[in-house]
Amino acid sequence: MPQGYALELRGVRRRFGSVVAVDDVTLEVEKGEFVTLLGPSGSGKTSTLRLIGGFEKLDGGHILIDGQRVDHLPPYSRDTATIFQSGALFPHKTVAQNIAYGLRMRGVAEAEVATRVHGILDVVRLSGYADRYPAQLSGGQKQRVALARSMVVQPAVLLFDEPLSALDLSLRMQLRAEIKRLHDEIGFTGIFVTHDQGEAMAMSSRVAVMDRGRIRQIDTPEKVFHEPADEFVFTFIGESSCLPVRIAAGAAFDASGAPVPLKLARPLADGEWRIHVRPFALKFGEQAARAENRLTATHSFVEFLGQFRRHHVRAGDLELFVDVEGDEPPCAPGASLEIGWNDADMRAYRR
Amino acid sequence: MTEPASVSATAIPSARGGLEHRLLKLLGAIFLVVIVFYIAVPILVTVAMSFNDAQMIRFPIKAWSLRWYADFAGSPQWMDALKNSFVIAAGTAVISTVSGVLAAWSFERHAFAGKGFLYLVIMMPLFMPGVVLGLGVAMAFGGLQIGGTAVYGSRVLVMLAHSLWAMPLVFMLMEATFRTLDMRVVEASYDLGGRPLRTFLEIVLPSVSTGLVSSALFAFVISLNEFVMALFLTTRDTQTLPVLMWLSLRSAGTPRLAVAAVILASVVMASLALVMVFYAWRLRRMRSGGGRAAAA
Amino acid sequence: MRTRDRLAPWLLMAPALSIAVVFFGLPTLFMARMSFNLRPDERLYVPGFTFEHYAGLISDPLFLAAIWTTVRLAVMASLCTVLLGYGFALLVWLKPARWRLGFIALAVCPLLISEISVIFGWWMFFPRNGLLSFALVSSHLIDDKISLLYTEFAAFVGLVYLSLPFCFFILLSVFDGIDKSLLEASADLCARPLTTAREILLPLTRTGLVVAFAQSFIWTIGSYATPSALGPDTLWTIGYLIQEQMLGKHNWPKAAAFSMVLTAGVALLMVLMRRLMAQRKAFHA
Repeated sequence: MPQGYALELRGVRRRFGSVVAVDDVTLEVEKGEFVTLLGPSGSGKTSTLRLIGGFEKLDGGHILIDGQRVDHLPPYSRDTATIFQSGALFPHKTVAQNIAYGLRMRGVAEAEVATRVHGILDVVRLSGYADRYPAQLSGGQKQRVALARSMVVQPAVLLFDEPLSALDLSLRMQLRAEIKRLHDEIGFTGIFVTHDQGEAMAMSSRVAVMDRGRIRQIDTPEKVFHEPADEFVFTFIGESSCLPVRIAAGAAFDASGAPVPLKLARPLADGEWRIHVRPFALKFGEQAARAENRLTATHSFVEFLGQFRRHHVRAGDLELFVDVEGDEPPCAPGASLEIGWNDADMRAYRR
Repeated sequence: MTEPASVSATAIPSARGGLEHRLLKLLGAIFLVVIVFYIAVPILVTVAMSFNDAQMIRFPIKAWSLRWYADFAGSPQWMDALKNSFVIAAGTAVISTVSGVLAAWSFERHAFAGKGFLYLVIMMPLFMPGVVLGLGVAMAFGGLQIGGTAVYGSRVLVMLAHSLWAMPLVFMLMEATFRTLDMRVVEASYDLGGRPLRTFLEIVLPSVSTGLVSSALFAFVISLNEFVMALFLTTRDTQTLPVLMWLSLRSAGTPRLAVAAVILASVVMASLALVMVFYAWRLRRMRSGGGRAAAA
Repeated sequence: MRTRDRLAPWLLMAPALSIAVVFFGLPTLFMARMSFNLRPDERLYVPGFTFEHYAGLISDPLFLAAIWTTVRLAVMASLCTVLLGYGFALLVWLKPARWRLGFIALAVCPLLISEISVIFGWWMFFPRNGLLSFALVSSHLIDDKISLLYTEFAAFVGLVYLSLPFCFFILLSVFDGIDKSLLEASADLCARPLTTAREILLPLTRTGLVVAFAQSFIWTIGSYATPSALGPDTLWTIGYLIQEQMLGKHNWPKAAAFSMVLTAGVALLMVLMRRLMAQRKAFHA
């Protein structure tokens, strides 16, 4: 018998009235994988997670955990554990009691409970906090207790419901690294929901980009970034400048009908197009002259963004920005300049 | 440069405004004093009279003593009445808190048809006068006998009648309390394997313990002080303190009644104080239990 | 699993519902039925069907007088309660926070005291040998002892005392819902205090006033102990008549009929009040 998947979703559906929140989602997760559901709000990622956890009713399809159907089982009958955005720690119980809760519910013997609780506290580096109450903990500490509480029961699947979204930046980075470390050490199977692509890319073995209830692409972070399956994925992952143009007889025109000085290596067919390019892939100066595709534009203004400068340029109605490291201005403000890029860094989609 | 000759037509009449303001402030202060006086009068009169040494109720009080307190403690009729009041109030608190909490939880947690109608059914008795409720129960259950003992006159019946007022109050309070409960905590419990009953007892109830205790206190106090329904439903043996006080009003005009009133109020105050202590203890335990304050 | 889910809410509500149904619903039906029974002789009642008790209500001048008395007393007491409660709540609302707790504690006191204790307190204040008389005489404001007990005024004072705290809390919460900076804005625009009160406060608190009045009215209408203990023997309220018929004359059908009238009246008032509040809400929203 082939090794079963830790988690399987087959054609999963969830409706809220007339709105389809999760639309025919199919997913197979191997043991030890860390899969992130990434998407904007309303994409269905949270609903999908809650369906796996059993907090919402399944309107169609099947969910299997460790090869067993759990479609209509309540949360307390499923082998999942969730880490909530707010932590959802039991306010009237100590840290140790919080962590022990799941073990007690599974009938683990008292002595073993104590050992495992203290063990997991060491793992999340909160030993000595066993007798504190949640009200005495900081945000980061609360989330670590939430982590410990869910991990200690060793569920088949760990579910993360945007656990870092409520924390400030440095804390988020810290905990992110912590979760990744824990995953590398312990090797749990995890499903992580977030709208922050940085998080998704940094932590996951696979990323599922979701939009309006459907999975657009599910791949390794590298593939999703470099080989986006469609326009939505390309624009959602990483930044891009968009050029909406109309092609007629090989020439490009903007929305107002004015011609756009655009030279494409491979000409596009006539019609309405959206051309997306990555800002870092756009080049000025002599690199531009050698590039496959070129655009003549005027320099508008510069934004200083720490590591790099963002140059905003205009070509007629079109606006785009070019990210460049270093301080050299490409030209005088208001002057005209050439911008170039390669085919590999461009995507063109019909409107 | 000369100042503009005319003064703006919309100049603030400060002097007149100031006078009006001060007058209103004075009136306000007088009003408050009157109200404070109004509320305090019956209380002060009763407390004073309970320490009166004389046989009759009259002012001025010439001698002070505790003799009527001793009289109360030594009178089996009055002490029994106090005991009855206590028992019935405790019973009402239990019955109404349990039923009210369960009903409020089902309203909060579950969706089902006819919520509006059921809400009305539960809340309606709260608005009915005590006479109507007391009369109804007395008539309907007057002749009833269960297992040889008459239902009428029993303490349990009074507890249930009092619950007609107490239970809707508990329900209202707990409904509001449950609404402030973070449902994610409930979900977390389910998620970790806690079944609904276990979750309710171990996670939900402790989280709303302050609301719970407050509701129980309200129920207790309402029942303790209630006397119209009790008048219809108690007999000589089971009469409560307020009922006895009412019956003694026209006949026995001694300071003993004042003592009874003071004792009744003291029981209420004592329960209130107990509850406050409970709150303080709970707050302290959750804020600073187990170790130093958290590091950043 | 599914059926258990659907059964759960009903099981949870069962205790509360059974109390309401068995001890209120059923007795009400029982009373309704009882009010049509016969009462030919000294027995409590004889099963039958007659309208005589209801007919008697309409034709009995005593009962009509009682209804008039009850309503009159309730209206006056409620008006007074609301006025006092409004002023009290307004003043407490305007005062700084450290005063609030003290006043709230004071306002809660009458709620913690039994009605009978309240009655007794005033019962010792008003008579010839009571505190009022003593105070007035010893401060030489009057020459002879005076008794205000067993007057309508005394009953009125007692009724207001009991409903004042409720009114206060209802109106205080209404005031708390108003942004204080509105008052500052009004003053800033040169409105005098009374004007601010009339143009700003009053419109915003109108619903609260109506609710407080209605609540107070419903409570005082059913009151029986306070008016009968503190008021004159001729001050008959419906509550008193009910009690008299039941415990005094043991005429169950008549008592039931009176009670049904009172119940219907209260129910009607509740419906009206709800309608009013819904209307107001629609208007303000």
